[in-house]
Amino acid sequence: MGEKLSIDSTLKCDVLVIGAGGAGLRAAAQIGEQRPGTKIIALTKVVSPQKSHTTTAQGGMAAVDPKDPEDRPIFHMFDTWKGSDCSADQNVIKKVCNMGWEQVVWLETHGMHFSRTEEGRIAKRPFGGHMLNFGEKKSFRACYEATRTGKGIMDTVWDECLKYGVDFIGQCIATELLFEGDRCIGAIIFRYPEGKFLAILAKATIVATGGKTRMYQVSTNCRGNTGDGLVLALNAGLPVMDLEAVQFHPTGIIGPGILASEALRGEGAILRNKDEEPFMERYAPSAKDLAPRDLISRSIITEIRGGRGIFNEAHNAHHVWLDLRHLPKEVHEKKIQEIESFFRRFAGVDPEKDLCPVTPTAHYQMGGILTNEFGEVQSDTQTIFPGLFACGEAAAASLHGLNRLGTNSLLELITMGKVTGQRVVEYLKDAKSPEKISSDAGNIVFNQFSTYLNAQGKEQFSQVRDTLRNLMMEKVGIFRSEKPLTEAIETLKELKEKAMQIQIGLTSLQTNQDLWQIWELNNLITVSMVIAQGALARKESRGAHFREDYPERRNEFNYHTLVSMPEFDKITFGKRPIDISMFDAKGERYELFDYIERKY
Amino acid sequence: MSGLYDITLEINRYDPDTRLSWVQTYQVEAGGILRFVDVLRKINDEQDSTLAWASSCEHAQCGSCGIIVNGKPLLACELLVRDAVEQFDTHTFRLRPLTIAPVLRDLVVDLEKAYERIHEAKPWLIKPAPLPQEGDEYRISQEKLDTYIEATQCINCFCCATACISSHHHFIGPNATMANIVRLMDPRETAKEERMDILYREDGVYRCHTSRACSFVCPKDIDVSHFLALGKEGKF
Repeated sequence: MGEKLSIDSTLKCDVLVIGAGGAGLRAAAQIGEQRPGTKIIALTKVVSPQKSHTTTAQGGMAAVDPKDPEDRPIFHMFDTWKGSDCSADQNVIKKVCNMGWEQVVWLETHGMHFSRTEEGRIAKRPFGGHMLNFGEKKSFRACYEATRTGKGIMDTVWDECLKYGVDFIGQCIATELLFEGDRCIGAIIFRYPEGKFLAILAKATIVATGGKTRMYQVSTNCRGNTGDGLVLALNAGLPVMDLEAVQFHPTGIIGPGILASEALRGEGAILRNKDEEPFMERYAPSAKDLAPRDLISRSIITEIRGGRGIFNEAHNAHHVWLDLRHLPKEVHEKKIQEIESFFRRFAGVDPEKDLCPVTPTAHYQMGGILTNEFGEVQSDTQTIFPGLFACGEAAAASLHGLNRLGTNSLLELITMGKVTGQRVVEYLKDAKSPEKISSDAGNIVFNQFSTYLNAQGKEQFSQVRDTLRNLMMEKVGIFRSEKPLTEAIETLKELKEKAMQIQIGLTSLQTNQDLWQIWELNNLITVSMVIAQGALARKESRGAHFREDYPERRNEFNYHTLVSMPEFDKITFGKRPIDISMFDAKGERYELFDYIERKY
Repeated sequence: MSGLYDITLEINRYDPDTRLSWVQTYQVEAGGILRFVDVLRKINDEQDSTLAWASSCEHAQCGSCGIIVNGKPLLACELLVRDAVEQFDTHTFRLRPLTIAPVLRDLVVDLEKAYERIHEAKPWLIKPAPLPQEGDEYRISQEKLDTYIEATQCINCFCCATACISSHHHFIGPNATMANIVRLMDPRETAKEERMDILYREDGVYRCHTSRACSFVCPKDIDVSHFLALGKEGKF
C-alpha cells in the first residue's frame, strides 16, 4: 500500500441521511415537504435506495382505521406492550399507534399501491398478536400491498425524495461521525467505485442504516446489513440499547434463509423431523404448528441438537422439513402460490410433491442506537447530542422492546421517520453551519483500511466469516446460557484478532470488494460482541431473548440494556428505565399496561 | 439429494486500475441447488477473492445481481446450478456484465448511472388528485388496480434494458418507460400532459421496436411489452 489515505474533498449540506431505506427517506421526505429548499444528502450502500432491505418486507403495516367500528388504537397499544414482553416504551407505543392511519393515508396520497377491498378502499389482513378488545379476538389491522408491502413503501418514500431533489450518493459507506464538542456535524464517507474518502459537513445528521443480523448463518437480511450504523455510534463513544434482542423467524428456506411466511402453517403445513415425525405435537400439544414464533424456533433447534435434523450437503447446514404435500390443490394454486414459488426457485423442490427444507432464520434486531420519542440520539444519562438523530431498525426508541409484533416494523419506520424529520426541521431553525472538520478526522478509518490493506496473516476471510456465523447461531442464537455465551465472547476476541490479519487479494481502492467485505466483517464482529455481552448480562428470559439457565422473566431486569464499547471489548454497561407512562397516567384499563404476564 | 455438478465458468474480468480486460476460466464443483450468487461466493472463498460481482437481497426482490449468462440477462440469485445445466444444456457458462452501464470491475456495473433514466421518467405522483375526504383513502377498484399492478412489481434490475434491441443510447429503456406508463394509468395522477411529453419525446416509447425481448427476460414475469404497447396506443 503505497499511497497515503486522505480525504479527497468536502461537501456541505443542511441534512445528511446515512442509510436511504424506508426510515431515512421518510424523514428526508418530511423535511423536503415541510421545509422546501433544504439541502439534503442521502447515502446508501447499494446503487439506489430502491434496492434497500425495506423493499423485501412482505406482510403489511399495522394501522387502526378510524372508520373501523370495532378496532381502536388502545387495543393496538396493548398488543404492542404485551408482545414486547413488557419491555417497550409506552410513550413511543402511544405516539406510533396513534399515527398509524394518518401515515397510511400519507403513503396512499404519495403513490403507494395498496391492495383494495370490493368497495375500492384499502384492504386489511389479520396478523399474529394483533387483537381486538385487549386480546379477545383477531383484528384486521395490517394494510398491505399484495405480498410486497415493503417494496410499495420503499418506492413511495424514494419517489418523494426524488421529487424534492434529495441528492443521493450511492455505493458508499459512512465510516466515522464528525463532532464539534457534543454536536454532530456530519460524517466521513468512502465511495466504493472510485475508492475515495469524502467529508460531509451537515447541520443535522440522521443515522438510519437499518437491520444488522448478517452475523448469523441463516438470516433474512440483505448482504449489506452488517450493523455499520451501530459501529459508527460505538466508535464515537455512544451507547447502544437492547442489542441482545434478536428475533428469529422459525421457517427460513435452507441456505438463503428467505422467509417462508407463517401463512403456510396457517393453511395446515406441518413441521417434521428426519423421521418425518410431526414434532410440534410434543412441544405444544394444542397449538402445535401455530404456536408462537419463539417457541417453534426453539423446538426446531432442539430437534436438530437431538440429532433429528437433516443435513444438507450443498449448504453445509442442518434443517427440518415443512410438509405441504397434503394440502388441497386449490390451496397450493390460489392461496400460497407466491410463497411456494420461493421453494421452487431457491430450494429446487416442488412443495406439492416434496418436503421443504426450513431452519430458523435471524430476522430482526429490536435494539439499536437509543433515541427519545423524537428520534434524538441519547447518551447513557439520557442527555441528547445536538444535531444527531436516528430512526428505523438502526434505532431503538423503543417501540418493540425485546420482541416485536409482525407489521409493527414498517409502521415504526414510517412514523418514527416522520417524527424524526419534524424534529430535524425544528433543529435547523437555529442551527449554524459547521465550518470545518478537526485535523484528526478520518484517522479511525485510515488506520483500519491501512491495517486491512497491509495485513500479511494466513487467515482466510471465508473462515473467519463462517466461524463467526456458526458461533453466533449456536451460542448466541435462539438458546443462550452462561457457559456458551462466555465461550462465544472469548472466540469473538480471537476472531477480531484474526480479522485484522486477513491477507487481502486486491490493494487497489477502486471497487475493492475484498476491502469492503473485511470492513463489514469487522463491524459484524463488533456488533456480535455487544449482542453476546448483553445476552450474558441479562440473566432472565424475555421476548426474543431466551436463557436456558434463567427461563423466566424477572422483575429486576425491568430496564433497557445500554452498552458502550469505544474500543473492542472495552465494555461499559448502563440502564435506561422502561417508560410506563400509560400505566402511570391511570387512564382507561391502565392495569393492563403494568408488567403483565405474556400468555396467548 | 441434489448431487454435485462440475461446471466451468468463463467470466469477463476488467481491472479499472490498468484498464485491462480478459476472460478468466474457473472450474467449480457445486451442489445443484446452489444459486449462481453462491457459486460466485464459492469462487471468492476458494479460488479468487478478487473476482467482483454484485448482489443485495439475494431473493429476486432488489435487482442488484443482474448478469448475462450465455447471452441471457438474468438475476444471479435466481439461477440454480442444476436449472442452468438443464436450461442451457451445457456445463460451461459464459458470464458477462450487463451492457447498459459502464463496468466498474469484472461483473459490477455502475447501475447508479442506469438509474438516471428512471429518475427522468418521474416515477412519483407529479400532481395527485385531491382525496374524496380529508383523512380518507381514494376509491380505487381492484379491477382498475389489476390493469397496472403487474407493472409496479418492477425492481429495475435492467435485464429488460440489456435485452432490448433498441440502443440504450437512443431509447430511455423499457423499465423507465413502464414507470411513466404506470403513473399514466394511475387514477390518482392528474399531470397527464407532462407525462405524455416524457412518453413521446425523442428517446421515448416509439424507439421501441416491439421485439418483446423485455417480456421474455423479465425476472418478475412482467409483460413489459404489453405496457409499452398501451403507451404507443395511448390507452391508459
